[in-house]
Amino acid sequence: MRLMIVDDSNMIRTRISRVVQSGGLSGIAVVGLARNGAEAIRIARATQPDVVTMDLTMPEMDGIECITALLRMQPKTNILVVSALNDKSTAIAALKLGARGFVSKPFTDDELKLALLDVTAVH
Amino acid sequence: MNTLNESELKLFVDSVRRYFKVTTGQEPQITSAFLATDSLVGHDFNGIVTFSGSYNGHVMVSMPSKLLRELLLLQHETDLSDNNLLDAVGEIANTLGGNARKVLGSGLQISVPVKLQGASGIKARVRQHPYVITLRWNHQPALVCVDMERRH
Repeated sequence: MRLMIVDDSNMIRTRISRVVQSGGLSGIAVVGLARNGAEAIRIARATQPDVVTMDLTMPEMDGIECITALLRMQPKTNILVVSALNDKSTAIAALKLGARGFVSKPFTDDELKLALLDVTAVH
Repeated sequence: MNTLNESELKLFVDSVRRYFKVTTGQEPQITSAFLATDSLVGHDFNGIVTFSGSYNGHVMVSMPSKLLRELLLLQHETDLSDNNLLDAVGEIANTLGGNARKVLGSGLQISVPVKLQGASGIKARVRQHPYVITLRWNHQPALVCVDMERRH
């Protein structure tokens, strides 16, 4: 399964990559890292990810806009939102747009792994 | 405009505690929380998130390089450049700002973080009497400055 990580923080991109590569998620390979929604769209066109972790607060194109654009382009993409915006209405809005899961920042490695397993099980 | 009440301010104390606990397994020691009356002296790496919508203002996170390096090392990060330290402090500010929506509501709009290097960076951004939380984590000092007001 092909994973794209979308987050404006290098620390978060690296951390998610490490969690994915370090165990328990051996069927997932990181195929793209994007710093904002616009970059994510370009990378998704080239790499066709099955799974995407998506931050919401980003420059240029935010996560909500990016979810809409990505799913229009590749409707079967499984999107896991990973965001600090932890109010219920944000999570509901993301899920209504078609995201499959939501992880609040800060998160533990285990929380992320479980959420990725959930999202990829739907696939 | 209305200043925040005690419970609204406490959410930032809880939030910074939770950030370190979840990310590193080690809670910080909150050393003080006060309304600043003198000019504020920050640390070298600063992350600032601006609020708009139902609130106006900023939350600022100010940390020394040593703390940020240790935080990144714990996450197995090998890039300890100044750019990456700025990225880390910006992400912490983003997390504290974003988490505030759980209590303050989704009318609170949050900017992407601005990152500033240099201890004077924080001074230029705050008004006269911001709410300041000082803490120590892994023997290193840090501060979080909350400078915001509720809009009617």
